Amino acid sequence: MDNTTVHESHSDIEDLFDEEEGERPCYLSDEEHAESVTGAPAVSSSEMEADNVAKLSNLDISDNTQEESQVHEGGSSHEISETTPGHQGEEGGRSNDPKGLELGDGDGSAIATSSTTDVGPESTDSGVLVTDVVDGDTLSEDGIQESPGSPSSSREGTSGYLAGSGSSAASVCSASGVDESADRILNQESTRPTRRSWVPGKRHPDEDDTSLAWRKHKKHFFILSNAGKPIYSRYGDEHKLAGFSATLQAIMSFVENSGDTIRFVKAGDHQIVFLVKGPLYLVAISATEEPDEVIRCQLELLHAQLILILTKGVEKCFVKNSKFDMRPLLGGTDMVFSHLIHGFSWNPATFLRAYTCLPLPYAIRQAAGAALQDMPNTGPLFSLLMCGSKVISLMSPRKSSISPNDILLLSNYVASSDSFRTTESFFPVCLPGYNPTAFLYAYVQYLDSDTCLFLLTADPDGFFQLKECRGRIGTILRQTNVLAEVANAVRRGGLRVEHLLETKASHPVLDPKTSSIFGSDGDHELHGSAGVPREGTIGIGGPAGLWHFIYRSSFLDQYVASEFSSPLHTTSAQKRLYRAYQKLYTSMHGAGAAGPHKMQYRRDERHVLLSWRTSDFELYAAFDPLADKSSAVAVCNRVCQWLRDLESEIFLLGATPFSWCN
Amino acid sequence: MCRLRDHAQGFRRRPFPDLSFFISSFRSFCQVLLGDMGAGKSSLALRFVKGQFFDYQESTIGAAFLTQTLAVNETTVKFEIWDTAGQERYHSLAPMYYRGAAAAIIVYDITNADSFGRAKKWVQELQRQGNPNLVMALAGNKADLASKKKIEAEEGQAYAEENGLFFMETSAKTAQNVNELFYEIARKLPKAQPAQAAGMTLTDRSASRLTPAKTTCCT
Repeated sequence: MDNTTVHESHSDIEDLFDEEEGERPCYLSDEEHAESVTGAPAVSSSEMEADNVAKLSNLDISDNTQEESQVHEGGSSHEISETTPGHQGEEGGRSNDPKGLELGDGDGSAIATSSTTDVGPESTDSGVLVTDVVDGDTLSEDGIQESPGSPSSSREGTSGYLAGSGSSAASVCSASGVDESADRILNQESTRPTRRSWVPGKRHPDEDDTSLAWRKHKKHFFILSNAGKPIYSRYGDEHKLAGFSATLQAIMSFVENSGDTIRFVKAGDHQIVFLVKGPLYLVAISATEEPDEVIRCQLELLHAQLILILTKGVEKCFVKNSKFDMRPLLGGTDMVFSHLIHGFSWNPATFLRAYTCLPLPYAIRQAAGAALQDMPNTGPLFSLLMCGSKVISLMSPRKSSISPNDILLLSNYVASSDSFRTTESFFPVCLPGYNPTAFLYAYVQYLDSDTCLFLLTADPDGFFQLKECRGRIGTILRQTNVLAEVANAVRRGGLRVEHLLETKASHPVLDPKTSSIFGSDGDHELHGSAGVPREGTIGIGGPAGLWHFIYRSSFLDQYVASEFSSPLHTTSAQKRLYRAYQKLYTSMHGAGAAGPHKMQYRRDERHVLLSWRTSDFELYAAFDPLADKSSAVAVCNRVCQWLRDLESEIFLLGATPFSWCN
Repeated sequence: MCRLRDHAQGFRRRPFPDLSFFISSFRSFCQVLLGDMGAGKSSLALRFVKGQFFDYQESTIGAAFLTQTLAVNETTVKFEIWDTAGQERYHSLAPMYYRGAAAAIIVYDITNADSFGRAKKWVQELQRQGNPNLVMALAGNKADLASKKKIEAEEGQAYAEENGLFFMETSAKTAQNVNELFYEIARKLPKAQPAQAAGMTLTDRSASRLTPAKTTCCT
């Protein structure tokens, strides 16, 4: 992958220069845009050149090449045609933010340089720059081809984002897998997922864009207003990031002024993804190699989370007062966002647009459903029983529909704060998929340490009625033994690829004992025992080197993912797998160059990924890198068969499946 | 044996009239905790209801509902407490919680002058819109942090007297004055609401039947 990207970017850069020779400043490949912009840059370019000279003189040579390579790769997003507005915008931003300039924000300066080369190819200075660019490129390209570690040392010197990426690339394998220092720390000792011990909340609140550590974080998220006021930043203090927000705002509004929307900028290892939502701007700066579609989906979710807290009504505040400061309105919600962002790496629901259920015996899930259904007509609009992020049952007595993303955001909102665990709570919440303009009122109580009941009503005075409902539901759930079964199910865990071992190739249908995950309760003790005889290749896991799978049912909008088994026992390996799935999911759905696919078989040095999409389901499976193709396909068939047999236990069936929005 | 058992039952039965009297003196009333974020509303409520204190208390979302039943002056009082969130975005929802309340505790943080200003605003809002019979208390919380004190007790006391509140400095951490605060409210209630004398259920249940639309609390 890396290689191809670099090659592409190289050729793109050549295209870029070709176009320059044609004396057309190529801010955009979109021609209209380029024309509309032509007037402005001539002025700013001279300023920019001055800036660059000043800046370059302060840097040593390695930094120079460094920057140039960045410039160069900045140009690579030319393929997607939105880079250069970014350059222009950066200039505007830089003039707003001289601090960023003198401190040599690597990203900004790199982009600025590139715009210099774009604008003034005649000048000798920029001519030099151009050659440097090419050098820089070959350097980084070679580096990537030969060993991912080597170029990182040469990159180390630059300030700004690149330094961050360089240093983390030096730690080779963790580079792509870990995007957060907190995780990195966990990572060193942990041999199994330590997600439970992860505490949501603001990280590094004392940092700002001048601190090196802040720049080294691999994935930043920002929310700002269209006036440039910071609203949320994943790292650092929003108030101190006002200048940086202004820079981002300048980039975006510059492009907006010409009637266009900036989508993303690629700068070296980093991509900057922008999303405009009315008066709100959302920006992600990431060095995680996730496709920009995935990051854009994440920004959409962040925005939806914000709407969930405040409703779309908050946009009116900006109409009244464009300088409206939204920070106070979001007081105390840092952990909600950080929990969601954490979920981007851990929760497949964030990219699958589906929810997952806690595996339960059919009768128990029916009993839970019956308890939720048994409500007065004036009762809750939605009742939802969840265990962690997994749904136990979901009812809408009035046949309203709730989208999977709303379930994700609602459960994220509640899971991010421990304050719900101790008391009954009643609070306003907006389900963006249901009605983004109005609040519903949520009654939330944990029935035991894991199981949480959500009752949603449109009546702001409905607390005592819902409290009564909760009493009734709680009694029924205890009587019908649902809570005890839920606790059992939590202890038992989800599906395990090892369970597929039970089936011999000669048995096309699972025998009744193993066709229920509950019949084979003790089986997961097998997990980890290396001596299990099995067809296929080396490594511990399922048959044919199956390590993990995610199955998404298109009709139910539900997915089921297997538990991580032993080859994927490190958090970084798991995170890497999720990233790979995200890429795969995008390529299976995207309208990109390759277009949507029906089936894909990919092999890289870490795993073999197989994805299969039909009108009924999507299956994503990860295998040992040495797995054999035909046996992998056979195992996928078996997985599908297995899941179909288990359908009534792993999915919530008959929950108004066709009325879901989304 | 049989006679003995009968006797015992008879003995047990005897206090029943008293018990019914006891039930008649069972009161439940709703109170609401208001104040700036971080003033310690949840900590006060948790200290009172569960006897717990956490150094790091997560901020409340919306409002939490807690109950505690205690004997106060020979009557059993059920405290129903709305512990509201102090964040600005929930401000507009506060009427939902204080509309039906019989008592309000306005909490400020003695180490934070802003929170005292915010507390004054709450008092004004309650005076303007709240129930005229509402019992109001002003609690200067975090009394254990005396060294960082910004608002002197005298200042709080003076403001409380001016506005007809009663005042206490409390500490959820050391439990200083926490129970006293709630008991004092319970004692003041019958005086403040003579129409609902002791022996009656002091809930808004009766009131809510008459004007169901108006009450949210304690139905």
